[in-house]
Formats: sequence, structure tokens, C-alpha cells
Amino acid sequence: MGGYSFQVENVQICVIMVGLPARGKSLIAQKIVRYLTWLSIRAKCFNVGNYRRLETAHPTAEFFDVNNSEGERLRKMAAEAAIRDMFRWFDEDLGVVGILDATNTTKSRRNWILELCRKRNVEPMFVESWCDDEDLIMQNIMDVKTTSPDYIGQDPEKAALDFRNRIRNYEKVYETISERDLTYVKLINVGSQVIINRIQSYLESRIVYYLMNLHIKPRCIWLSRHGESAFNLTGKIGGDSDLSARGREYARQLPQLVKLSVGNRPLTVWTSTLKRTQQTAKYLPYRQLTWKALDELDAGQCDGLTYEEIENRYPEDFAARDENKYEYRYPGGESYRDVVVRLEPIIMELERQENIMIVTHQAVLRCIYAYFMNVPQDQSPWMEVPLHTLIKLEPKAYGTEVTRIKADIPAVSTYREKGQSAKIKSK
Amino acid sequence: MLSLSSDSSPSRSPSPSPSTSSDDRYRAPSPMANVPSSFASSVSPPGLSTFHADLATSPITGGFESQMHMSHPSFTSQLRTQSVGSKYLRRQSSSVDEDAVHDTLSPTHVSPAQLYSTESGRLFHAGKICIVLVGLPARGKTHLAVSLTRYLRWLGVKTHAFHLGDYRRGHIAPGTEVPDDYFLVNASPSTVILRQRVMAACKADVYRFFEEDRGQVAIYDAVNPTSAGRRVLVKELNQRGIQTLFIESICDRPEIIEANVRSVKISSPDYIGWDEKEAIRHYLKRISDKIPHYETLDEPEFSYIKLYNAGERILLNNSRVGYLPNRIVFYLMNLHIKAGCVYFARAGKSTEPRPRYKSDPHLSDEGRTYARILTDTLLEHRRSEHSARGADGDNSPERELIVWTSTRRRTVETAAEFEKRGFSCRQRPQLSQMHPGSCDGLSQQELEKQFPGEVELHKKDPYRHRFPRAESYHDLAVRLEPVILEMERIPNDILIVAHVSVLRVLYGYLMACSTFDIPELDFESNEIVEIIPSAYNNKVKRIKIYGVEESETL
Repeated sequence: MGGYSFQVENVQICVIMVGLPARGKSLIAQKIVRYLTWLSIRAKCFNVGNYRRLETAHPTAEFFDVNNSEGERLRKMAAEAAIRDMFRWFDEDLGVVGILDATNTTKSRRNWILELCRKRNVEPMFVESWCDDEDLIMQNIMDVKTTSPDYIGQDPEKAALDFRNRIRNYEKVYETISERDLTYVKLINVGSQVIINRIQSYLESRIVYYLMNLHIKPRCIWLSRHGESAFNLTGKIGGDSDLSARGREYARQLPQLVKLSVGNRPLTVWTSTLKRTQQTAKYLPYRQLTWKALDELDAGQCDGLTYEEIENRYPEDFAARDENKYEYRYPGGESYRDVVVRLEPIIMELERQENIMIVTHQAVLRCIYAYFMNVPQDQSPWMEVPLHTLIKLEPKAYGTEVTRIKADIPAVSTYREKGQSAKIKSK
Repeated sequence: MLSLSSDSSPSRSPSPSPSTSSDDRYRAPSPMANVPSSFASSVSPPGLSTFHADLATSPITGGFESQMHMSHPSFTSQLRTQSVGSKYLRRQSSSVDEDAVHDTLSPTHVSPAQLYSTESGRLFHAGKICIVLVGLPARGKTHLAVSLTRYLRWLGVKTHAFHLGDYRRGHIAPGTEVPDDYFLVNASPSTVILRQRVMAACKADVYRFFEEDRGQVAIYDAVNPTSAGRRVLVKELNQRGIQTLFIESICDRPEIIEANVRSVKISSPDYIGWDEKEAIRHYLKRISDKIPHYETLDEPEFSYIKLYNAGERILLNNSRVGYLPNRIVFYLMNLHIKAGCVYFARAGKSTEPRPRYKSDPHLSDEGRTYARILTDTLLEHRRSEHSARGADGDNSPERELIVWTSTRRRTVETAAEFEKRGFSCRQRPQLSQMHPGSCDGLSQQELEKQFPGEVELHKKDPYRHRFPRAESYHDLAVRLEPVILEMERIPNDILIVAHVSVLRVLYGYLMACSTFDIPELDFESNEIVEIIPSAYNNKVKRIKIYGVEESETL
């Protein structure tokens, strides 16, 4: 997003999902939230289904029949509750992008939401996911719906059948978006056709571009720091040092470790331009690319110093960093926020790609991990990411599975806890 | 009768007809024909887009070759003396103050934001692509072709736009005129033959671009009105291994069409010397003559993008050509026909005579004075431009000015005066200067003493070479991409206050400068550089700031 500061343009956008059940709406909604949150844009998803479940926990397909007036009433109430909460969030929590996750399949429902948004000066943007690929739909149902809270305790086959009937009820009244004066994106059959209408701002175009790059093919991402470096041994930060003996050992063991995890799948390796990551990836038999954007956080004036030296020379800075590690910018250097800004193209590229392994540095790894695991800003700079460990991320329907694979090579710890003075030398 | 005198005034006169230009074809000097082995080995990997990645290296040897083949010593001088004659019709350009977007690229051209080279010269593993524009006249096709060329070239995709109109003009010998029925649908047989010859000449150049110049994207700018015609084109291109992506520009708002005609008339070589109303009428008649036979894109098996009313609505169908359509659509979402001006200004002097990156110094008193004078000068310039436009009959309101600076103190403080006067100022970390790395604060002599080898390498390739721990212009170009896109989207006028390294890269994008020119671009400390966008070319104006001395690079 590149420093998109919403102080200058006080825009509030409501993304309204549209589509039949099992079209991946919730998945899309949650990915948008994760992406924007990572870029420090306040985003939140309001799932109408969750509100409905508070009242009606295990509905059958009949509940969703249009002619079932009681069902209609309860569902409308749920939508109202969700929207109320969303507007409250816009006002009280200074939200920027709120996502209303529901089917919103009729024009009248959409109009109702539209009016509410306009009254509150919130820009509405519709995202419709349209799919007629039966296989995709069935797979979605099996993956997600049968384990949904609606069907807890039920036989998956029966649940799938009931869900299919639920969808049929929606199909009877479905009106795809065709209103020309609305801002919307229509994703047809997972992007084989995309219709983009009346995009109003750069933020919206960025969201659309992000959506266009998503795919649902299964894949994994492997993350690793460089092997232990000479600077790591002396406790210095930054620099462009070589690997230590143990680091070199890690580089030698890495291909085997990776092969065990990756198997025969094709893989590409991304490294930074600093020597230590390239030396670490040296023996990996895969295509390699170097990215300047993967270089470590620039420590500016503190580059090449140890934490102890920093604490001695710049005690105020040292304390200020602990106060807000995400925002703190080293004099003449960068902050975690700056790193996120420059990592954005990497993330966009990662969304497009399939199997990738990234060999990078502590701060950069924290930022990438935070994106996939939705780690908030006050925690991500403090995450422990030890040396000589391979982290495997496997994005799944509603979350990412993490596996940590430790190489059996000892290394120093570069981890410093919040508030911990660097003056006490730890072994 | 259309009179096409090719000896009309503007510096951009059309080149002579294709048959003669084939004699002064640019041929790459023979040393360059042998691409060094470091490139021969970087074969395009399957299914991978490596946008923003650096040069691919051989994984086993791990060597990192940071020098492009452009560093061959004789190449630089040869390119600088490249003759104007080219194999395609192109408009002449000789200085960096002329928009170079129409220039032919040499076979070994490397773009400012290009991220890697492949043996085939083609990026994004998308092979050869022909973007075929579809649309009635005055729908902004040529503007689209020019903007896309600028953007794609910037990314390193070897692109060239082929405007059928240029070939038509080039095919008529100077002094003679285009036949009356040239634009009519039911023309006489001799006119039909002429039209076919024109098309054939254009296609021949397109194929030459792909086959001999290792071009990747050709943009074929013509009306392409019938489905049958398009199918034939696709078949012919596919036979040569060229994929197609159609982009149709559709307009159903008459005010947009008229505005297009008005601006097209000013820039197009066709109507030089005509009365404005006559020209608009003639042009609109050309359009209506074609309407009965115009078929909008509807072929479901084609990959296409439909652009409605200059970006109000975009439809993307069947993007089999992979990465590029998405990237193009993103660009199109942000592209405006009426883009605002961009002003470039340097930051004022700081308290350090040679400001170090790490210390991030404040403005000195002299710097603050400069900031005030800068603000006054720019606002006065805008006022006088606005009244000059009014005198010309253009009563469009003045576009609002916004200011972008980096997060470095010098730039923020330079813009402080604007902020005081109520202009919206925004700090963007990507606008920070090129990171000097280990060279921070060093004078030229100190640099030569400490890093003599690096200085040598830098001289050979000032665009891509990185000093230790520093950034190169290339890194900067990659970093500035979001800024560039946002610049395209914003309808306001923008003032960018930044370090000269950043200004060079942004200027390089807007004026389609080569990687040789970008590191040498001049930005005086007592000047504001104004870039005025227009459909065919971006124009440069330099506004002098009085009361400020010229000085060394800050």
C-alpha cells in the first residue's frame, strides 16, 4: 500500500460480499482483512451467519426458504445486528474497511445496505463471487461447510446434502449484480472473468488487484533465516557478514531438510541481496532469485553495533524502541512499518505463486509470518524466530497451518525480550 | 480533402515511408551480438513471474553478477551516437526533454525497472504477446497505447506501439493527399489496395519487432472493427507463435468523445493547420462512417479487456496470458485521461554542507528561505497558467494541488510552507532518496580513495551498479512503483519534493528515459520542473525560481 495514510483522506469503505453459499465469500473476506490489517489499514469482517447462529444454531434448509417468513425475519434481524455493529466499529474504532460477509443475493437487500452506507457517508463496494463450476462448489462444501458450526455432530454426507438444498433456496431469488452505478467487482469462476465497475479510489483499486491475484490452488511457503553469521556470534546487528562455521553447516544440511519437506514438488528459492542469505541458499538445487526487498531492516546509525552498545550510546532510543517496536524508526534507518511497506510486492507475488522458499532475516521474516498468521502489530516484532529453523506455512481454507522443522545445529539466540536490558550479557 | 503535408512545423514530424527506412535499419554493433554467458544460462523458468526480483543466478555456483551486459565499454558510446534512422516509423527524439515513449528500442535495450533478463529477452514467461486495440476513433486508443507502452517498458517488458494511422500517413508520398474515400467503408478498389498495403507494412514491422528485435509486447493500435477481421488476425498471429490480448475502448458518453477529439486534434499530425471546429466535424464524420460496421468484442475464446468510458468499467475475460493482463488491469484502474501535472522540486539546503543519510538533518535558514520562495513561485506560476488558459477559452477549474514528500526532514520541512497555506501534504517513505550505504557523506575524492574498484564499476553502469550496502537507481525504480501508479490515478496536480535521485527516476518514467539518461538528468536547485501530460507526449517545462542560487547536489 505504500504509506497510504488515511489521515489525509478520511475514507471509510464497506465491502459488501455477494454470492450464493459455498462461493468462497468468507475466504475472500478474511483474506482482505488479513491483507489490509498487515498494511496497517483497519479492517474487520462482520459475518452475518455468526449473528444468525446466536439465535438459530442448527437450521435446516427450510429455514432459508424465501417463503418461510419466520426464517426471513430472523435472518433479516441477523443482518441488521451485523450492520449495526459494523457502523459502531467505523465510528468508535476508526475503522477504514469493513466487510459485510453475507449472501446479499437480492437487489432489494443490496439497496437497503446501500442506503444505510450512504446515510453514514461510508463508501460501498460490492464484491461478488459467482461460480457455476459444480466440482469447485462441491469441494468447497466438503472442505468447509460440513465442518461448519451449523452441522456439528452431523454426518458429513447428510450435511452436504442439506447444504445443497440450502443453496437451492437461495438460487430461487438470486439476482446477480447488474446495477451500473454501483462500485463493484465480480469474480466469475475464480477469476476466469472479472468485471470491475466504477472504482473510486486507489485503495479500492489495490483491493481489486489483490483479489485478482488470489488463487485457490494448494501450495506451501517455507521460511528460514540465514544461517548463523559472524555478526550473530558477536551480537552485532545489521552489516553484511559471512556465515559462521555453524551457519555454513546449516547451509550444508538445508537441502536435505528442504527435500524431506518439499518432496518432489517444484520450488523456487528467494533470498536477499546480503551475503549471509545467499551463502545459506548456496546448495539448494532450485531456481533462485534475489530480492532487494528481502534485505534486513536497516538499523541506520546503529548498524554494526551490539544491543549493549546501542543501549549505552542511545539509551533513549533503546527505551523508545521497546515502547513501540513496530513504529520505532532507527535514526537514519527503518522501522518495522517501513519494512512492511517494502515487502508488499513480495506478498502480492507470493499470493500469485505456488511453492516458494524464502531465506531472509529476522525482522523481514517476522513481517512475512505476521501476514500469513495474522499476528497483530504489537506482537509481531517480538516473535521468536530462531536461527537454523525451517518454518513451513500451509494456507488452508480458514487459516494457515504452521510446522517448524529444527535443524540439529546449535546457534546463538538473537532474541531479546521486551524490557530486557542488553547490558546483562547472556550466554 | 485531407491534406497531409509532412513538412509541417512540430519537431515530431513523421518519418519517411517504410520502404526507404528499411535501408537505415539500426543494427546492433557486433560485440553485442554475443551476449555474455551469464545471460545465456538464465533460461526462463516455467510458470514463474519474477517481478521485482533481481537477476537470476545459477544456483550451484551462486555467483551474483550485478553487471548487465550493457557495461561493455564500447556499448555506451555506440548507443549515444545511435542514429535517428530506424526500421520502424517513429517520431524523432534527440533530447531527454522530449518524451521518448515513441522511440524504437534497441535489441539490447534494458528498461529502468526491469528486473531480470532472459535469453529470449521476454519476461514473465508470457512469450510474445500482441495487444490488439479495438475501438472507434476518438475513444482514446492511442492514448491507451502510449500509456501502456510507457508503463510496460518501464517494467522491463519490451514493448512497442504500432499506430496504423502513422503507416497510413507514411504511405502517402509527401505532397499528395489521401484519397477521399479512404475512410469510407465501401471504397474504390484502388483505395482498398492502398489500405491493404498500409496494413501489410504495419504487420511486417510488427513481425520484425518480434522476430528480430526480441520484442515481447507489440501494441497494434487500429480500429479492428469486425469480428471476422479479428479472427483472421488472431489466426495469423497464432501461426507465428504470438498470443493475443484484445483491449477494447468503449465510450458511450458524448462529452468524453468530444473532449478526446479536441485534444487529439491538437496533438495529432493529421490536422495541423485546420480550423478547430472543422477538424472536430471531420473527425466525427470519420467516426460515423465506421459505426454501421463496428462489432464490439464478443468472442468468448479470446483474452480481452473491455474498457468502458476511460476506466469507469473494466471487464477482463479469459486471461490466459497470465501475469500481464492483471498488471495491465491494475494500471488501467488507475489511469486517467485527464491526468494532472506533476511538479518536481528539490529539498532546501540543510544544516550539513554534505548531508548524511543517517543523520537526517533539518533545513538551514537558507533552506527555509528557499522553501518560502519555492512556494510563492509555484503558486504564482499556477495562477498565471490558469488565467492564460482562461484567456484561451478554456474555463476548466484549476486542479487542486497536493504535495508529496519523503519522510526525511529536509523534504518535509521544505513543504511546510505549503502545508501552512492549507495544501494537503503527504509523507511517503518510498520517496526517500537512494540509500548511499557505505558511501554516506563521502566526497568524490574520499569515494575514489576508499572504493576505487567500485567507482570504476559505477562509471560503467551508473544505473544498476550498487555501492556497498547502497541502492542503485534500479532498486529505486522498483521501490517507486506504487508512487507511479498512484500518480496516474490522482486527478490532482502533484508537487513532489524529494532528493534528486528520486526525481530522476520519476522523471525517467514520465519521459520514457533510457537507463543511460536517468543517472545524468539535471535538476537544478533553482528550478521547478513541470511535466504536462497529454495524449501523445508528455511535455516538460522548467520554471525558474528567482532569488535562489544554483548549487551542488544536495
